[in-house]
Amino acid sequence: MTMLEMGYASFPILLLMIFLRAPIGLAMLLCGIGGLYFAMGGTNMFMAKLKTETYTTFSSYSLTIIPMFLLMGQFATLSGMSSALFKAAESWLGHRKGGVAMASVGACAGFGAICGSSLATAATMSRVALPELRRYGYSGGFSTATLAAGGTLGILIPPSVILVIYAILTEQNIAKLFLAAFVPGILAAIGYVITISIYVRMYPDAAGTREPVPYPERVRALLDVWPVLLVFGLVVGGIYLGWFTPTEGAAVGAAGTGLIALVSGNLNWKVFVESIIATATSTAMIFFIVLGAGMYNGFLALTQVPQELSGWVVGQGLSPWTVLTLILVFYLIFGCLMDSLSMILLTIPIFFPVISALDFGMSPEHVAIWFGILVLIVVEVGLITPPVGMNLFIINAMDRSTPMVQTYKAVMWFVTSDLVRVVILVLFPAITLFLIPG
Amino acid sequence: ADVTLRMHQFLPAQANVPKNILDVWADKIEAESDGRIEIQRFPAMQLGGTPPQLIDQVIDGVADIVWTVSGYTPGRFSRAEVFELPFTMTNAEAVSRAYWELAEETMMDDDFKQFKVLALWVHGPGLIHSKKPIESVSDLNGVKLRAPTRVTNGMFSSLGATPVGMPVPAVPEALSKGVIDATVIPWEVTGALKVNELVDNHTSFGDDALYTTTFIFAMNKDRWDALPEDLKAVIDANSGVEFSAFAGKQMQADDEPSMKQAMERGNNIITLSPDQVAEWKAAAQSTTDTWIKEMDDAGKDGSGLRARALELIEKHSAN
Amino acid sequence: MLKVVERIARFMAIAGGLVLTGLVMLTGFSVLGRGLNTLGHSGLLPDGLAEALIATGVGPITGDFELVEAGVAFAIFAFLPICQLFGSHATVDVFTNALPSKTNKVIAAFWEVVLSAAILLITWRLYEGMQSKMSYGETTFLLQFPVWWAFGASFVAAVVASLVGVYCAYGRVVEMFTGRRVLPNHGEAVH
Ligand code: NA
Ligand code: NA
Repeated sequence: MTMLEMGYASFPILLLMIFLRAPIGLAMLLCGIGGLYFAMGGTNMFMAKLKTETYTTFSSYSLTIIPMFLLMGQFATLSGMSSALFKAAESWLGHRKGGVAMASVGACAGFGAICGSSLATAATMSRVALPELRRYGYSGGFSTATLAAGGTLGILIPPSVILVIYAILTEQNIAKLFLAAFVPGILAAIGYVITISIYVRMYPDAAGTREPVPYPERVRALLDVWPVLLVFGLVVGGIYLGWFTPTEGAAVGAAGTGLIALVSGNLNWKVFVESIIATATSTAMIFFIVLGAGMYNGFLALTQVPQELSGWVVGQGLSPWTVLTLILVFYLIFGCLMDSLSMILLTIPIFFPVISALDFGMSPEHVAIWFGILVLIVVEVGLITPPVGMNLFIINAMDRSTPMVQTYKAVMWFVTSDLVRVVILVLFPAITLFLIPG
Repeated sequence: ADVTLRMHQFLPAQANVPKNILDVWADKIEAESDGRIEIQRFPAMQLGGTPPQLIDQVIDGVADIVWTVSGYTPGRFSRAEVFELPFTMTNAEAVSRAYWELAEETMMDDDFKQFKVLALWVHGPGLIHSKKPIESVSDLNGVKLRAPTRVTNGMFSSLGATPVGMPVPAVPEALSKGVIDATVIPWEVTGALKVNELVDNHTSFGDDALYTTTFIFAMNKDRWDALPEDLKAVIDANSGVEFSAFAGKQMQADDEPSMKQAMERGNNIITLSPDQVAEWKAAAQSTTDTWIKEMDDAGKDGSGLRARALELIEKHSAN
Repeated sequence: MLKVVERIARFMAIAGGLVLTGLVMLTGFSVLGRGLNTLGHSGLLPDGLAEALIATGVGPITGDFELVEAGVAFAIFAFLPICQLFGSHATVDVFTNALPSKTNKVIAAFWEVVLSAAILLITWRLYEGMQSKMSYGETTFLLQFPVWWAFGASFVAAVVASLVGVYCAYGRVVEMFTGRRVLPNHGEAVH
């Protein structure tokens, strides 16, 4: 067996392990180790790699941004920012048909601006908004689906953990990727609001109404969200203006939200420990996958599979747009089964060289950024596509009274909205790129 | 091919060093061994890990050949730092020869004993690239800059600048955003980092050179030992002091295009007069003294190394 | 036994979290110091004030990013035990859900054992890595503290992760044979 054949043979083995419920990081680690063992005819290579690779992966300066963003999201929840956001949005929109659901999406977008993770956004906003939605007579499936979709705004609107990983894998500028994600993220929120207004017209029973809130009260609620604007402006603005590196920005944001939580009196030792445990489990989960992906990708590089594969694809003479479409469809299909981070870590080292080798009539940097945003969106769709959608699971776990099937049904409307957006962004790259100098 | 060797390094394939030095070497080895040796090239850390891990990778056999910066692992190759001391280097070819000779005398059986050294070289004179003109030492006051080595880092902080640590690829963004006001690198790297477009001033030290960086080009020991004698001979014929000198000379030659580009752009290239340089030399003396003392304390005969290095540099600079 | 193991895992997670929080503050101060230093040299302040500001020696904290790297590595190793104990590693269970519960118990036990073995392997190799850093006397770039200190801190956390891992493996195997609940369910926290 040649090295190249070993590289190709590792794909089905990896998938088999993953589908047999191996922890994804472990499956990649095993494929990496096993691959290196067979490729080198001995244990020497992977044993040597493991001596420093784990420490280096866990101590990578650019990756340290991840636990800091996760901690920031936890502190933001404690400081009452999530409820302030929901209250403000709800007081302005709540009296409209479907208005409380729209307000939930708006609050998710606002929370996404200070939280780098979809799961955290979905969980946090559900805690605040789910009881309110049910109280105003919104149907179970519609409520959970709205929040699951809204949760994806946590990643689509910067800051975003997935974009950080993409930037590191493809050596792109994090600040530019964040900037590029901004308009598509806003479009996502608008798309969800439109979806909600269509849904409540199709199923009038799915949503109740309530009396409008007087204007002075609305203004007061709006003023209460200043900490969110402050933190978002400081972190994302500061990173983009170059006041600090992305990691420093995440640290400043975590320190800022922590301080606000402390001042608001919500941060005692017990809740601090809770937010640490939540940060700890997500961080360890993410870094274990990053470690496994590092070993596996090291093996793939050795076998030269990525080069061969991209050479082969380019040699097929398919149009760049066909290749792009095929890749995006691949992500959509696998998104039904796998989580977004694992997919990015697993596939970008293989797909990125393919895309880079094609001519889309744009500068290489523009292609890299545009492709990154498209991938981000399609893998995020995976978070809400049945059967395996992490956001769906999280929210359904918080509302046991709603059968999963109802959530599945309602969420397909939001998935449709996502797909329409992907098509628009593919056809008009300028929507993503107009803020980025060529 | 009978033998396939994996060559791993941290720069992209089209950068000067891979293109003009490493590929030249690898192509020659492949040709002169009649294709019995194949050198697989993995640029830009494709085999995984980070640049500081390269030296462990070649020791442990993760890669068969690596090119790396000795200062990536501070404390491990401290003898080589003698060539990085301020105002020590003259021209890269001469200093590379001196580096190789001093290594044969003091490092091969000690610092470098865990790998087969293929070549050792340094880059051309390093200089300061800054937003505001820097002529005297006092101009450094409060300037935030990225220093490339442990030694220069110590030197610039003792001279009143604020060193900011970051990896090389982060330099362009940091410069454009004002996270740093200046950076210290040879001309050869400025092209790839777009430094000429980001700053307007370049301070060079005339016939003297502020600093240089020492590189190591090394092969895994077991792979070397396992090679048949005739293939060893092919590699040996293309390595060692002569290839080191070639590599140093080539790196300094690669300074030219970038310097020309800066001149064409109308950048302000400051060449300090010998009197002005004297002020810098006096100010930097403490850095050298500190280094010698540290080495002496570690039992590595700092003063002896320093004296021998200067002697060898003078010998090779003379021809 | 679960109580003790859980307490150890929580203790490690909190230790890691405190280190992370400390690094967040350190980075914040460093950014602030750098900003003030820039302000002092910017010419925006009146001369006297600018000089006074600079005279305080305010500036970025030297080697802040080295501390962040070393500290975050420790924190992540310290986070591993609680992640494994709470079954928080990402998995795909859509296919296995279709299988009988007994089969799922076998699958869970199998992967838990393999995962624990992998963590043991990682810990052992980390120890080797620490040894080699120690023998070369390698230091960091700016603060010049020995790199093996950082490896050592991570190694301590990795040893705890290994112990917790072994317990988890034991627990899943017991569950497989007896059907008795030993560990928290997949993805379910015990607190
Ligand atoms: Na976000
Ligand atoms: Na999915």
